[in-house]
Amino acid sequence: MTGSAEDLELKDRLSLIENMIAEGRHTTANCGWIFLLWGVAYYIAIAWSTFAHYDLAWPITMSGTFALMSFIFWRRRGNRPMTTIRRALGSSWIATAISMFVILDAIGFSGRADCRISIAIAATLIGTANAASSIILKWKLQFACAVVWWAASIISCYGTFTQSSIAFLAAIFLCQIVFGIYLMIREVQAHRQEASHA
Amino acid sequence: MLELPELNPVIHGKLRLALLSLLSGVEEAEFTWLRAKTGATDGNLGAQLAKLEDAGYVAVKKRFVQRKPQSLYCMTEAGRQALTEYVRALKQLLGGAIGS
Repeated sequence: MTGSAEDLELKDRLSLIENMIAEGRHTTANCGWIFLLWGVAYYIAIAWSTFAHYDLAWPITMSGTFALMSFIFWRRRGNRPMTTIRRALGSSWIATAISMFVILDAIGFSGRADCRISIAIAATLIGTANAASSIILKWKLQFACAVVWWAASIISCYGTFTQSSIAFLAAIFLCQIVFGIYLMIREVQAHRQEASHA
Repeated sequence: MLELPELNPVIHGKLRLALLSLLSGVEEAEFTWLRAKTGATDGNLGAQLAKLEDAGYVAVKKRFVQRKPQSLYCMTEAGRQALTEYVRALKQLLGGAIGS
């Protein structure tokens, strides 16, 4: 083998290492459906509690959605590897879910529930999870979602009941429904691209 | 005169090098994922992973999920060190050619 052929072989190896490391870190996160699912669940809970005046509408809808999400997760689990980024993203959302469950249940059962304050707390926590996720992924669009949630939170603190409700509904629509559908479209495109490269 | 380094023969095999590089980017990965990413056959992949395991560069955890066996591979500290040294040796061998 000539010197330049050897160099080429060694360079190939270096690029193989780089490509494989990048491949390992690349996680095609299929999470668009989760945003959409929770967005729809929030709307169902809001409609149920508003029009039927049923006190347990929120706990039942949230528990049912959590059960449904767990089931879908279980059915769709693939062979994707565990990466530090996946663990970090998962932990920020799990911590948020637990915090919301604890604080909103405590507010509800203590009888000190105030709709605007509950909206403010929920919006702040969801905004925090979106912000943490956007910083990990260096994703400006998701950070914009966090800002929308925080704006809804501030409006809930200062605004009337109607204003806070509108802000909450708008944040759900933009940051759960629209963002979730956008993610799902991106995921389909990524899968198509992967399939064409395979 | 500068002595050129030798490349670690355990890592030098292309498939083993690809496997170690893949595992360096994840915490742990399933056999089927490694197979999909490398395009290797089951037999070849198993043999190369066994060589890496014998060298102490990867560790394997076997478990059953829904009654199906699952093998999870992860890179050991020795494997990470060996890959780092391999890359360093590669770069040293390439010398000035690396930028061209």
